[in-house]
Order: sequence, then structure tokens, then C-alpha cells
Amino acid sequence: MLKIDQYAYINRIADMHPIEKSILALATMVICLAFSAPLTSVLVILFMAVLSILVAGIPARFYLKLMSLPLFFLVTGVLTVALNFTTTSPDSFLWGFRIGRYWFGATGVSLALAGNLFLKALGAVSCLYFLSLTTSMLEIFAMLKKLRLPPLFIELMSLVYRFIFVLLETTDRIYISQASRWGYANIKNTYRSLGQLVTNLFTKSHHNSQMLFTTLMSRCYQGELNVLENSYTLSKRNLLMITFVETALLVTGLWSCGYIRFL
Amino acid sequence: MSIEPIIETRGLGFSYVDGTQALVDVTISIPKGKRIAFLGPNGSGKTTLFLHFNGLMRPDRGKIFFDGREVSYKHHRLLELRKQVGIIFQDPETQLFSSSVKQEISFGPINLGLSRNDVEERVKKAMDDTGIADLKNKPTHFLSYGQKKRVAIADILAMEPRVLVCDEPTAWLDKKHEGQIMRLLDEINSDGITVIMSTHDVDIAYSWADYIFVMNKGSVIGEGTPEQIFYDLKLLEEAELERPWLLDIYDDLSNKGFLNRDNPPKTKDELLLNLANCVRGT
Ligand SMILES: Nc1ncnc2c1ncn2[C@@H]1O[C@H](COP(=O)(O)OP(=O)(O)O)[C@@H](O)[C@H]1O
Ligand SMILES: [Mg+2]
Repeated sequence: MLKIDQYAYINRIADMHPIEKSILALATMVICLAFSAPLTSVLVILFMAVLSILVAGIPARFYLKLMSLPLFFLVTGVLTVALNFTTTSPDSFLWGFRIGRYWFGATGVSLALAGNLFLKALGAVSCLYFLSLTTSMLEIFAMLKKLRLPPLFIELMSLVYRFIFVLLETTDRIYISQASRWGYANIKNTYRSLGQLVTNLFTKSHHNSQMLFTTLMSRCYQGELNVLENSYTLSKRNLLMITFVETALLVTGLWSCGYIRFL
Repeated sequence: MSIEPIIETRGLGFSYVDGTQALVDVTISIPKGKRIAFLGPNGSGKTTLFLHFNGLMRPDRGKIFFDGREVSYKHHRLLELRKQVGIIFQDPETQLFSSSVKQEISFGPINLGLSRNDVEERVKKAMDDTGIADLKNKPTHFLSYGQKKRVAIADILAMEPRVLVCDEPTAWLDKKHEGQIMRLLDEINSDGITVIMSTHDVDIAYSWADYIFVMNKGSVIGEGTPEQIFYDLKLLEEAELERPWLLDIYDDLSNKGFLNRDNPPKTKDELLLNLANCVRGT
């Protein structure tokens, strides 16, 4: 997770307008989900891989590792779709087995459905990965502000985001100091140390929040965390390219579902 | 000291809710435009005293004056005071609330109600002055501890205070970064800003400060120039303070006649120069 956060700041399209990146990712995802066409899904997966690896410069190995993370859930989910069961004749099964009175097996239709679903889900996931690998939380916050979400909501989100890292670092420090004193040497020590770690984190966080308030007061805080907003400018060229690509995907989708025909 | 004071306290007393007497009858006068060090062991009340300087804490007893005027705790007067007296807290982790360095530094100036252009300018100047211009686009959690410390200083500089209060600015820093921060504080002071810092490091206090207050158990038990403080052996013993190594060596060698008895050296270079002159027989 932390690595994703790092790439979000250092990837090659880090300064592309966050709205452009979001439109690109979300529009592609909607198209991918809207059409039950394996061709579209495969195109989306390839397109997002090219964008993430070749354009944004995310290392291919890391990208593949990320893509393999949801595989387990996808496979288990898709299996239940692929498998049918029946008590009568298993004629339509391409392949099957019997437990007691029940026949379990896969039909051509169910296999196609499962494959479709699998590709669709993977396509949607790759769109989200593209967005999170190339767009930092800071940009997301800036965008949400542009979209006029309540400031309080955005302030809270950005404080949470900032203090996740403080908390992680504190956890790390406490853990190391415990481990270096045999805190995790055996099960009994481990339970005790973990307990102390958690209580320590709570008191530390409480202390941090009070200190934060003091430091903000010291800088004339009056109830709103107003800061300089970055100004991004939309690029006509990027928008044109995005429109073009999305239209192409849309047409492919419509075509492969049989809504349009080319003569 | 005959110089006009910028901050004065009279009979300041403060206890925490749990009954800890953190400040006991503190009466001091901080000279304007100088480098001031508060020297004392952990728990002697330095932080608590600092929090009184810009009204973050209100004393149980006694009074505080800023620039000759008694500190008032009315809302707009407090804002005015906090604009003039900036505090850099010991742990930058708790001070830095934003994940963007630039946005972090802009917070203070925006609260002062400046225009966007002025804010941009101040942020840029504060970043240049603290040497962190190249960190502009990095998120806070990518920074090293020393860099976070600089951002914390830039935070306050951008508000252009007249007094800069630094709580333990060199805590947890290695020698190299410690030197950088102290030089930075020097530069800030040379622009006419009164710089106040706390430390328990006698070498830093001796070399850097124009004037030192020694604290122990919530009281100020001594004050003076570094020479006055570190030749007052009774005070040092009472405060459980070591002597700076420069002074120890200087005293020892000059007693044996190996050093010229002019002014005690403030830096290693001054000591070496004295030694070299002495060897050459000048
Ligand atoms: N929030 C608090 N609640 C209760 N006691 C405190 C609190 N903060 C500090 N103290 C106590 O007040 C005294 C002075 O602390 P402090 O001002 O932090 O000293 P210093 O900065 O010199 O280390 C210490 O005895 C400390 O334990
Ligand atoms: Mg302290």
C-alpha cells in the first residue's frame, strides 16, 4: 500500500491534471463494466497496463504483483458462477463430477459467463490501480475541493491521510524498541507486547492530537484549515486524446455486443 | 542588560491540572533582537514557559508583557500576539498537519488574511531561507527528520514574527544537522528577529547565545552572558550543569600558560587560533 502511495508522487505523469486522470480511469471503468464483452475487457486491461507501465513508468514486476493480489478473490468468486449443479441428467455439462445425488459441473454458457465476469472485474481493478498509482491523495483532495465537497470532510480526510504515516512511524519505533528487548521472543511476551503497543499508540495519538491543536492555535487557527491550492490547468491535447480513446472503446463495446454493425 | 526588553514576565506561576508546579515565580526580561537560550534539564519548565509567550497557556499567577504592553487574552489581541511571537515545537511530527510541504507553510500566512500573491511570496521566501526549496513537491511523509524540522521552521518564518521561539531545536539531530539548524537560527537573528531557544546542551548554549537563562524545577535560578553563567560554579552545581568543553580546555591550558588570556573562545576555531598564536609566541 505504501509503495502505491510512493509511486503516486514519483510516476512520470504525476503532474498531469488529476481530473484528466480521473476521467480517463473512471470512463474506462464504466465502459468496461457496461459491456459484457470479453474483447472490451481485454482491451481495457491491456490499455491500462500500457498506460501504467509504459506511460507512467511503474515497474512491470510491481504492476503484475498488484494485479495478482485480487486474483484469489476473483477466482473463488468466479468458480461459483462457473459451477452448476443438478439432480437430473448432466448432459449439458462439458465436464462434471458427482457427490451423492448431485451432479456438479460446468456448462459452455456458465464458463463463458464466468470468463466474462473475470475479465470484467480485472479490467475494472486495473482502472482503479491506474488511478491510485498515478494520482496522489493530495491531488485527489484538490479535486474533491474543486467538486465542492464540504471542506470539513476534505480537512478530515487529509488529516487522516497525514497521520496514518505518523502512526505507522510511531508503531514502527515502539515495535523495534520492544523487539530489541525480547518483547516478541515467545507467545506470552508477544501477547503482552502487542497489548502495550496498542495502548501506547492510543495515548500517543491522544497526545498528538492535543499537540496538533496547540500548534495550530499558535499559527492563528480559527476553525478552518485553509491552505494554498495548487492550480492545475487542463490540457486540450490530453482531453482530446482521452475523448478519442474512450470513443474507440465505446464503439468496440457496442460492436462486440451487436448494437452496431459495420457494413 | 540595558537593552529594551521584548518579552517580560513578572511573578509567573503555573500548575498543571494534576498539581505539577511547572512554573514558580518566574520574573525575567528578554532583551530585544538577541539570541537567547533557556538552559535546564528535562522537566524544568522550559516548554511550559514558552507556551506562555504567545498566550497558548494562561498563567495562574503573574503577568506577561510583550513589547511593553500587558498580554491580553481577548481573541483579536491573542491573534495579534501570535503573529508577532512564533513557536516552533519540539516534535515536527505533531506540528506538520499537511501532507504537502507548500500547503503546510501557507497555513500561517493565509490565517493572517494575506492575499494569494503575498502568501505565495512568503511561502517561497520561507522555503528559500530554510533551504528547502527543492522539497516543494514532496509529500511530508517522504522527508527526513531534519527536513521536517526545517519545514517546521519555515512554517513560522512565513508568518514573519518578531520573536522566534524554538523548543529544543537540536533534539534528536546529528552533529551535522545540528550545526545547520544553529546557523539557520543565526541567519534569522541577523535579520533582527529575537531568537529564543531551549536546550539542555551546555556547549550549544555557550557558543550560540548572547544571553542565557538557567532553569530548574520551574524557576529561573540564574541569568547572564555565557561567560557569567559558566564561571558561576555555584550556579552550575545547583542546576546540575556540566561546563562547556571549550571553557574547560581554555581554563586548564591558560592556567598552565599554554594559551593567551584574552577572551574565552566561543568556537573550536577561536580556541585553535589562540593556541596557534601562543605557540608562535605572538
Ligand atoms: N500536560 C501536562 N500535564 C501535567 N504535567 C505536565 C504536562 N506537561 C508538562 N508537565 C510537567 O511540568 C513540568 C515542566 O515540564 P516542561 O515544561 O515540559 O519541561 P521542559 O520543557 O523543560 O522539559 C514537568 O514536571 C512535567 O512533567
Ligand atoms: Mg520541553
